[in-house]
Amino acid sequence: MAGEVLDTGVSTETPEGILIELRPAGLTPRLYAFLIDQFIRLCILMAIGTVATFMEGVGMGLYLIIAFLLEWFYPVLFELSRWGTTPGKRALKLKVVMDTGLPITPAASFTRNLLRVVDFLPLLYGFAAISMLTRSDFKRLGDIAAATLVVYQPQPSSKITLESIAPLAPAMALSPRDQAAIIALAARASRLTADRMDELAAIAAPVSGDAGRSGPEVTRRVLAVAQWLLGRR
Amino acid sequence: MTPLQFEQQYESDWQELERGLTQLRTGDRKELAAVAGGQFAALYRRVCEHLALARARSYPAYLTERLDRLTGDAHQVIYQRKEFGLVRLKDLVAREIPQAVRAHAVYVWIATAVFVLPTIVIGLLVYFRPELILSVVDPATAAQFEEMYSDDADSIGRLRTADTDWMMFGFYIRHNIGLAFQCFAGGLLFGVGSLFFLAFNGAFFGALAGFLTERGLSSTFYSFVVTHAAFELTAIVLAGAAGLRIGHSLLAPGRATRMQSLVAAAREAIVIVYGATGMLLIAAAVEAFWSSAQWIPHVVKYSVAAVCWIAVIGYLSLQGRRAR
Repeated sequence: MAGEVLDTGVSTETPEGILIELRPAGLTPRLYAFLIDQFIRLCILMAIGTVATFMEGVGMGLYLIIAFLLEWFYPVLFELSRWGTTPGKRALKLKVVMDTGLPITPAASFTRNLLRVVDFLPLLYGFAAISMLTRSDFKRLGDIAAATLVVYQPQPSSKITLESIAPLAPAMALSPRDQAAIIALAARASRLTADRMDELAAIAAPVSGDAGRSGPEVTRRVLAVAQWLLGRR
Repeated sequence: MTPLQFEQQYESDWQELERGLTQLRTGDRKELAAVAGGQFAALYRRVCEHLALARARSYPAYLTERLDRLTGDAHQVIYQRKEFGLVRLKDLVAREIPQAVRAHAVYVWIATAVFVLPTIVIGLLVYFRPELILSVVDPATAAQFEEMYSDDADSIGRLRTADTDWMMFGFYIRHNIGLAFQCFAGGLLFGVGSLFFLAFNGAFFGALAGFLTERGLSSTFYSFVVTHAAFELTAIVLAGAAGLRIGHSLLAPGRATRMQSLVAAAREAIVIVYGATGMLLIAAAVEAFWSSAQWIPHVVKYSVAAVCWIAVIGYLSLQGRRAR
């Protein structure tokens, strides 16, 4: 097989013996998510503050309690909700899960968010940034202690839609990996420019017996082979 | 078998699993057992097999990705750990918290010493040389403390309105619980942070007590603090002990790696932090609504305080000992 792929993906095995692929999110998307969350917190606090000024002592007490809850439990609340993620992370399609890929437990959520104080040190999340930048799974200190990961939520990929081409039997025997590559190329056809598609198809040209040639016709034939590989006859 | 044939053959299974998942997600808290004709788990395992087959046969990406997502979602639902609810809370309060505290008795005693020793030393120092209070707080704050606990009408709690009680409740929650959380989180700095926050808070409390005693305000001050101190000081010590547990796991991981040791320690320590948080909520309520009520005779206050101290210590040392 090919050498080790340079990748930050983490895979965990389930009891059913299948691998679950997790894609940890790095510093930048997490920073954006944090800023969005921070903005939301600020808005809530200002809204409550405005109302509280009309309520004297009780309002002030309420304001302080909500400020406390926002400060420490805003992420906990959202991580344990049905969303499983804060609005900021949701906007960037991120999610906090356990190392095993399972939903985050209350204890882990509590831990990672209380230890945020240390991540904040010495200033402006310095330790968190250093930790994230030096680890391949981008954990901050709280994540390490709580055994959690911030990952991208999986997105559905586009289905292959090339109904109009008549299938064509490949001109040579193809290994499963080669088959997968041809089909993956067909799946990307709609998202590539015609010229780039021709270039890529030229590399795969041997499968349709067109080795050494290129052009729209070759591309069409390679895509036809992909149809055949998908099971159309 | 070609990918398309494979897809056709098992499509119905996948759609049923998808239906079950949406039902669970949108349905009003449907039970797992009621979904997909009670066959959810079996269906999930079957689709896992399909995924393994699809991967082994290098089927096209869209197919494996779809199965990936499907099994991933189902996996999250099936292995979800339910740690919510009143049953879990009851378990925590009735057994887990006091048991966790006793299991970490060494850390609790160390934290107690680190908190109490500075309290006594600084307290005595300030008592005999009151000007030393100025090395802890600035003159304005010192004057403010003196005024707060003085015997005149503006002093703390004297005929305070319900409004102010509520405000102070909010203040105590925010300030004190935040402080305890710092004591805990500081443990991640190899325990140094916890030691620092414990000693610092002890020293501050000691300085305040020494200063006010020297000013002859001891009756107002002690009758004010003694009740909620049972919960608040204990909670701070407990949070510090939890932090020390984490720090120790990093310094001396034993046979595990430092990371594994940290994860295991955090899992145990967080139970103690739950306990500390609960106590601080009680402390904030007591401090805002009971301690500040000056119309209550001191005898009553000291009696209630004694009951509280006995209750807290008894709870931590005796509760949850009997095996169920």
